[in-house]
Amino acid sequence: MMDRIPLLSLLLLTPVAAAALIWLWPRERAARVLALAAAALELALAAAVVAAFDAADPGFQQVERSEWIPTLNVQFLVGVDGISVLFLPLTALLFAGVIVASWNSARVMPRLYFSLLLLQLAATVGVFCALDTLLFFLFWELSLVPLYFLVSLWGVGPKRRFVASKYTLVMLGSGVPLLLAFVVLAFNHAAASGVALPAGLAFDLPTLLETPVAPRLQLIVFVLLLLGFAAKTPLFPLHTWLPGVALEGPVAVGALFVGLKLGVYGLIRFAVPLAPAAARDLHWLLAGLGTIGLLAGAVAALAQSNLRRTLAYAGVSHVGLVVLGIASFSVQGLQGAVLQTLNFTLAAGGLFLLTGILHRRTGSTDTRSLGGAVSTMPRLAGFFLLFTLSSIGVPGTAGFPAELLLLTSALTSHTGAGLAALFGMVIGAAYALGMVRRAFFGPLTNPAVAQASDLLRGEFVLAAVFAFVILAVGFFPSLLLDVIAPAARAWVMRGG
Amino acid sequence: MNPAALVAIVPLAPLAAALLIGAALTFRRHDGDAAERPSARIAVVGGALALLVMLLLDGLAVVHGAPGQVRLGTWFSAGRFEIPLSFTLDALSLGFGTLVALIAFLTLRFSVNYMHREPGFHRYFFGLSLFAAGMLTLVLAGNSALAFVGWELAGVSSYLLIGYAWERASASENAVRAFVTNRIGDAGFIVGIAATFHWVGTAEWPGFAAGVGALDTLAAGLMAFGFVVAALAKSAQVPFAPWIARALEGPTPSSAIFYGALMVHAGVFLLIRIEPLLIRAPALMALLVLLGLASALYGWLSGLTQTDVKSALTFATTTQVGLMFLWCGLGWFDLAAWHLALHASWRAYQFLLAPSYMHLLDGPTRPVSSWLGRRRRLYTAALERFWLEPAADWLLVRPTRGLGRDVNAFDEQVVDRLIGRGETGRDERADEVARGYGALGWGLESLSRGLARFEARLLMEGEGGRLGQLLRRVGEYLQAIEALLERPRYLLLLVMVTFVVIL
Repeated sequence: MMDRIPLLSLLLLTPVAAAALIWLWPRERAARVLALAAAALELALAAAVVAAFDAADPGFQQVERSEWIPTLNVQFLVGVDGISVLFLPLTALLFAGVIVASWNSARVMPRLYFSLLLLQLAATVGVFCALDTLLFFLFWELSLVPLYFLVSLWGVGPKRRFVASKYTLVMLGSGVPLLLAFVVLAFNHAAASGVALPAGLAFDLPTLLETPVAPRLQLIVFVLLLLGFAAKTPLFPLHTWLPGVALEGPVAVGALFVGLKLGVYGLIRFAVPLAPAAARDLHWLLAGLGTIGLLAGAVAALAQSNLRRTLAYAGVSHVGLVVLGIASFSVQGLQGAVLQTLNFTLAAGGLFLLTGILHRRTGSTDTRSLGGAVSTMPRLAGFFLLFTLSSIGVPGTAGFPAELLLLTSALTSHTGAGLAALFGMVIGAAYALGMVRRAFFGPLTNPAVAQASDLLRGEFVLAAVFAFVILAVGFFPSLLLDVIAPAARAWVMRGG
Repeated sequence: MNPAALVAIVPLAPLAAALLIGAALTFRRHDGDAAERPSARIAVVGGALALLVMLLLDGLAVVHGAPGQVRLGTWFSAGRFEIPLSFTLDALSLGFGTLVALIAFLTLRFSVNYMHREPGFHRYFFGLSLFAAGMLTLVLAGNSALAFVGWELAGVSSYLLIGYAWERASASENAVRAFVTNRIGDAGFIVGIAATFHWVGTAEWPGFAAGVGALDTLAAGLMAFGFVVAALAKSAQVPFAPWIARALEGPTPSSAIFYGALMVHAGVFLLIRIEPLLIRAPALMALLVLLGLASALYGWLSGLTQTDVKSALTFATTTQVGLMFLWCGLGWFDLAAWHLALHASWRAYQFLLAPSYMHLLDGPTRPVSSWLGRRRRLYTAALERFWLEPAADWLLVRPTRGLGRDVNAFDEQVVDRLIGRGETGRDERADEVARGYGALGWGLESLSRGLARFEARLLMEGEGGRLGQLLRRVGEYLQAIEALLERPRYLLLLVMVTFVVIL
């Protein structure tokens, strides 16, 4: 297989190389251009991965394997399947969006800012394609570092340092059960295969998926993995870092927190497949956590006056619905979950980017001081409304098929939780459209809003691309669903 | 090729018009008065095309008989869930499809002059074309899921047009309120769809009609309940009625087509569509009789006290639609269909005429009828629209808002305190090596100190010491929790939780 281009390695290397280039380039102002070029190249590479992807094959593709720590059997093993492949282009697109949205706002130390963003991109892509549990863990933890510095150095709130360290500590803390679970699984493989340590250890996902795990041990592994992924997802009650970071961090970077649902991905990729029987037994726990998060997030979003906090709580609520869909252990539930997660990257991420632009123009994202913004920023308001409609699942947008699949599967598998989710859907419309109303409609009150200028050309192109993808997926959801389907079927079969 | 496949053009033509106008707006191609002609032309041509194809299909149906189910492909599928791109072309949908296309086309044409030089001219035609597409999808759809798409599109375009005058705070508020009320109906529709997939296995209307015959009363009742809630909300029947009076804030031609002629009848259409299911669920039929009658009375009495043309017409509409619900409840679906068609045509005309009524009238308007004036209490109730909206506020909106504040407070007071939050209230102490935030940090920091205290005070000072205080404090907390539980929102929450657990 040496004749094939190692696309995934290129995906991982491009941002790192670009980050290095930013420091070597003589002009500091060029940092943002280089960063955007790297994100565009990343997007092209990710598109190539998707184009080369065989949608009929449920297994891992583009697999690259090489030794990393031979004594422990740790490998550099990357690959994608129908569940993960679509995250790659959308991640690249979201990062391109973040770079465009912070085009003028990252004036202090632009080199550091944009190289940190690129390293974050590399770590995120690594999370999505790592197939070795330790490699995954490495990327998982690496993705904390740039965010810590981005939030604590470029944050807009007075408590940014504290929020950044809180975020990092919570994530590091939740990394412990994750690592423990992976180690337990590796030892279990050694015990099951009867090979002496350390040769019997196994960290690569395909092997671990084949290894039988005793029911008692599965339960432990699943709870550990759930604990590990819960904070990042975020599941109630470990969600409070999200509104904090959203409010204190740099506004554009906030899009990464609400747009990238790495925790959900971890649940789908690792937690459930590695302990399928335990996951099925604990379906009530998943469904319950999902329902509580969904309702708590939705009603809390209703009580917020700041756009960024509203969006953060909306994210908590949406993730609850996704977890509920996962808990149904059905093909349509999982396809809905993956599609909804992809939709967030666009809709929630896009909303946050627009909020960042709004913040840059008016100095505030508090709805009490916005009001009537549509008169001076009609295009921004239009895109904001479209993304909002997608986040509440209106037909024609990507949110509709996702939400319909999630709700119908939840109603069938956990009827009570499904009804609660419908209640959440009604509140969702109330807070989402209420947010739009207070920020953009009504009479103009704030002079800063009255003088604000609409989207600039780069920002417009960015928003238009997001809108185009949202509408395209909304009209032709099969494009994505067919890619996800074989892997989703395999995922559900495994759990059976 | 099957000529009936042309039916796809019917909803797609106005949809394409909406997308074109939307794109032109986004890229600033259409701006201001100068671009009125292209915008209007796109919208009117879209509406005309839909009407023409609809008439063509009618002609085909007259010559060759109704084409029945036309399946063009699959929109998307996942697991057992499948939404086919199919259309049901029977007498019902052909008739209503033609009616919708006709009224939509006429309203579009009427609006070209009516909306001339309005600031949101293009936006208006975007909304109206989107509505026409949604309504035609709903009527012609071959399955409940596709009908739901049209259902939602109609709701969204209604939101866009109620909030047309966005600079008025009341307009956008009413738009949100109307949309959220409709969303309750949408939730009901989703319950219906999920139940259909679960028990019948296919959402296609013919399969649906055949499949529901074998259902037991409970399953049929549950399924029908979802659809009936959807119909009640969309057609503004009691108890969802108040939203439609708020919805009148949009431009008059849009009120005509949404709340006079078409969208308000969507619920009745849905009920006629699910007739085979409804007759399996007698309890729901009784509910329809009851609520239809209540809505008719509500609309009639409240309508008598209205002082402006649009409100009076709207309450009259509620009354008539209430009667249609009554016919459906009594099993007279054909009567409901005829009533619907006649009422829609007449009311559209009346609404479009509404702005001119003041000119057409000679002399003063008629006062409130004397018999109602004599009944002081009934008059007040009618004037207050039977307090439906305050009741909904009191029962649902306020408790939900309160819960929101509580969750927020919970996050800040409890969760944040456990994980740590960045207060700087505590004094820096000189002997401090490291400072922990939140329960974890604080716990580590004060473990030794706490242990010492435990020994020194709690145990040594005996009954009256810290232990007693601690117990008293726990008692106070419990009392506070009890007081909280007495509030209605927590009771509601408890009931909901119980439901979730039971189901």
